[in-house]
Amino acid sequence: MEFEVQENQANNSIQGVINLQPQVNQVQAQQQEIPIKQTDLQVSSTLEESVAVTLLRDLRQIGVKLRCVLVPTMSTNNARELRNWDLWGPLVFCLMLALTLSMSGNNDDGPGIFATIFVLIWVGSFVVTLNAQLLGGKVSFFQSVCVLGYCVFPINLGALFTLFFSFFYLKMLLVIGCFMWSTYSAVGFLKLLIPEQKRILALYPVILFYLFLSWFALIV
Amino acid sequence: MDFGIQNQTDEQQQANKESSNQNVNEGNKKQSGCCAFLTVEFYTPYFNVTENDVIQRIQGTFLPLKPDFLNLIRGNPDLWGPIWINATLIFMITAIANLRQIDEEKENQSFVISYVPQATALLYIIAFGTPIVLAAVMKFLGVDLSFFQTICLYGYSMSTLLPITILCYFQNELFLWLIIVYGFANSSLFLIVNLKEELDKLQIQKKYIIIGIVVTMQLSLYLFYKLVFFSYVTE
Repeated sequence: MEFEVQENQANNSIQGVINLQPQVNQVQAQQQEIPIKQTDLQVSSTLEESVAVTLLRDLRQIGVKLRCVLVPTMSTNNARELRNWDLWGPLVFCLMLALTLSMSGNNDDGPGIFATIFVLIWVGSFVVTLNAQLLGGKVSFFQSVCVLGYCVFPINLGALFTLFFSFFYLKMLLVIGCFMWSTYSAVGFLKLLIPEQKRILALYPVILFYLFLSWFALIV
Repeated sequence: MDFGIQNQTDEQQQANKESSNQNVNEGNKKQSGCCAFLTVEFYTPYFNVTENDVIQRIQGTFLPLKPDFLNLIRGNPDLWGPIWINATLIFMITAIANLRQIDEEKENQSFVISYVPQATALLYIIAFGTPIVLAAVMKFLGVDLSFFQTICLYGYSMSTLLPITILCYFQNELFLWLIIVYGFANSSLFLIVNLKEELDKLQIQKKYIIIGIVVTMQLSLYLFYKLVFFSYVTE
């Protein structure tokens, strides 16, 4: 919701600047006043809409970004979409993974597992992004945290499926597949932003991060 | 029209003010050293390595009797190695310590998550805390080794734990103690032989103080390792 308001404020301010210039033609002024009223209506309508509509809009944005991140095609639309980073998606997937793993039957320390996974995902994304920045990569910090968080989704799927199967080798194959999907997506995004000779140094922490999470999904 | 021209000159004045502010700020950034270590730019020179450099440095730690390491890192100590070797170790400790317990065919096998925070605390305190203490002591005693070179040396000495952790999967108690002792000997020798060149310039007592600190910390690390993570598993 904040997004919309800001955009409208931006539109308002742009419209405001245009309107401050002295307009000789009154008709033109009136025509340019009308869009402000429409955006005013949009601002009040996002405040007055129901919670379900707001949540559905946020969920739809998360879904769109998820498709951009996980279907590994490097089109320019994807790149532009990813520049609008948000942390809702990573939070949702992190909580889902932590809840799934802490509620599965094979452990006696559910809260401990929840806390460890939560801390691991956020601190891990932070450290991996910092590492890429320190190696000279031109990654924007929150954009990279956003992409790393979205790429946790396949591991989420893997953790959910392993709840239903009990045959170990099947679980292992499934989790390995999800790990490779996550890593491929994240690496595809990051590898263009790192200088050539330090690429493996920047990508190895990403691989380690997803390996750690996948291993949790397999064993717990 | 006049209004438009005035706008432009206002903008130009603002741009000039902003650029002069930036110059002042850049000057301030270079001059203020007290909080410089909190910025990203302060640590960027310490990540100036390539993959081959890292592999060479890790290989150097497995041959402790060749005092080559300080020459390898002279002028270019890196922080990538210490940080990510320890991160890999945390993952391997958690994986292998839990795999050891799963193999027992017991009814209610539980997954021990507490290895993760324990391993993180142990490894990062020893890999970063000990060099800080050691560098302070060495500065006090007059050794000419930079702070980051000590961290680099210590961090890479942890790489002997990489194959040891993998080998700790086996259940044989005697074998575990043997490889732990080998690891302790290897990493202590590596550290002492590489520090020897610098330490020979000191008096005997000061030399032994530093060697004593090094050996004690390595011993505690390896004992912790064995007793906390890979202790005897009852059958």
